[in-house]
Amino acid sequence: MGCFDMGFKEYVGKRTLHGVVTIFLAVTLNFILFRIMPGDPTRAVSGDPRVDTATRLALIAKFGLDRPLFEQYFIYLYNLLRGELGISFVQIGRPVIDIILGRKMVNTIILMGSSMFIAFILGIVAGVFAAWRRGTKIDIFFIVFSLATYSMPVFWFGMLLLLFFSYYINIFPIAGTITPGVVHANFFEYAKDYLHHLMAPMITLGVSFFGGYFLFMRDTILDVFTEDYMLTARAKGLSNRNILFKHAMRNALLPMVSLMGVHITFLISGATMTETVFSWDGLGRLIYDSVRNNDYPVLQGIFLLMAVLVVVASILADVVNAFLDPRIKEAVD
Amino acid sequence: MAQERLTKGSLRRERFSTSVRRLRGFWALYKQSHIAMFGLFLVLAFIAVALAAPWVAPYDPRALVGKPFERPGEDHILGTDQVGRDIYSQLIWGSRISLMVGLFASVFSVAIGTAIGLVSGYLRGPIDTVLMRITDLFITLPSIPLMLILAAIIGRSVWNIILVIAVTGWTGTARMVRAQTLSIKERPYVEAARSVGARDSQIMFRHILPNIIPLIFANAIVGIVNAILAESGLSFLGLGDPTKPSWGLILRHANEVGAMATGRLWFIIPPGVCIMLIAIGFAFSSYSLDQIMNPRLRERRG
Repeated sequence: MGCFDMGFKEYVGKRTLHGVVTIFLAVTLNFILFRIMPGDPTRAVSGDPRVDTATRLALIAKFGLDRPLFEQYFIYLYNLLRGELGISFVQIGRPVIDIILGRKMVNTIILMGSSMFIAFILGIVAGVFAAWRRGTKIDIFFIVFSLATYSMPVFWFGMLLLLFFSYYINIFPIAGTITPGVVHANFFEYAKDYLHHLMAPMITLGVSFFGGYFLFMRDTILDVFTEDYMLTARAKGLSNRNILFKHAMRNALLPMVSLMGVHITFLISGATMTETVFSWDGLGRLIYDSVRNNDYPVLQGIFLLMAVLVVVASILADVVNAFLDPRIKEAVD
Repeated sequence: MAQERLTKGSLRRERFSTSVRRLRGFWALYKQSHIAMFGLFLVLAFIAVALAAPWVAPYDPRALVGKPFERPGEDHILGTDQVGRDIYSQLIWGSRISLMVGLFASVFSVAIGTAIGLVSGYLRGPIDTVLMRITDLFITLPSIPLMLILAAIIGRSVWNIILVIAVTGWTGTARMVRAQTLSIKERPYVEAARSVGARDSQIMFRHILPNIIPLIFANAIVGIVNAILAESGLSFLGLGDPTKPSWGLILRHANEVGAMATGRLWFIIPPGVCIMLIAIGFAFSSYSLDQIMNPRLRERRG
């Protein structure tokens, strides 16, 4: 579309600019959500009985809560740039930034990363297989299975696993990230305990994401099958296996990468549910607890952190994609 | 004048018979698929249950009609919950909440998405840029946390849930409609309409929109699945209307009283199966629509 002269660097630049604008909008929305919406949480909180008078006065001064909204907005931006997100109303005195950028974030990243990885790999393998065996019983089984898992509430599947593992077979611990009260002899003992706790939530999230990846991969492979170069490959007399893995799969992986970037938001949503069911000590569980306790500063902080994470992830996915496939940056509009 | 009315009338008849023929062809393709027909059956079955709820449910879903945690038996087919309400009756009434939230939230979000996509794709320029950045923002925001925060701020009611789901769910439609608008706008007949002086609104609604309707319809059905799942999730997390029996709410109660560790199957399995079946009904239907409408995915063997 008239941008043949646009190079890779310009594409990355444009994408980054879009990302910065999106983050800025997210910051603004965050401000609006928490100050202008009915109830005005921030002001309500400065009358919150859990906060003592001295802290309240300090808060009002720090965030300029007695100033006009317009000024508050700039004070908010200024504080944000310094990494100042306020303090938790529940764990009085603890800065929000310490709460969210710590162990909880690591726990969430481990849970999300591992389940995404498993769903991604299985989705690709099953997708390629089903597309190759199109219309057979196996293909239809996978389609039905993935539509069914897509239609299943994540938290309910988690509850089923809990029921199964806690009531029928006692192989996985049912809650938390490590066994409470146990002092681990060394790092390996700790890791073993951690992984043991990770299994059930990871299976839950992994299964809930398998369907989306599978259907997408299957459709993409079917699309690739109709491309001219596939006919060429066949005419050259390449073996089926060669065609499948060297041509079809390689070309179908590109759209999968960009799907992953977009998918992070869904993963965060799924993680919120899963962490709540399994009492996994991560950011999702923290969101739930903060909503219950009206801990608005923490909510605001997590919300912002997630927006930034998603923007960065989707830019990375797009850039990797553009690097692999030069056609994409031409079609940026 | 008479002449003109005649041509207009015959044109309308012509158009009508074309769409009837199209629908028939569509139905013929739809009927062939077992997945499609099973989905349609599930959807219709749940709609029937929801409509007939007052006559089908044996008890008032909110009334304490038994002892807490009764096992399934003669009086209560699926037992009772932690305070002694009949779970079977709650399930039947719960179908109303699910369908209502699913349909309304999806219709609203598709309406928002279509409006934004059409305007953005048709007008281009600065309006397009602004609308697309806003769309990017909403794509970026993780939906469940955003819903949680919105629901916590605006309060707990069924209509608030619908609002929250609609506000967070329109982005996919907006992008799809925009892309379609961009390509349809360049077609010769749109050019022709413009050259004889058709107004922008006329072109958008009479020439572009009708071409996108099938895709919008497919989008709306996926939207129903997402809305139903989102509703169950929000109710499970305690942000639904606590006075209305919903499937997510039953599961919340089951989770709160630790029904898993005590093996109270009747408390956990049925509500989830209901959510899953109704979502499967819509998901199967939408998958089949997609396969029929996207000719590239249609059966072909190479």
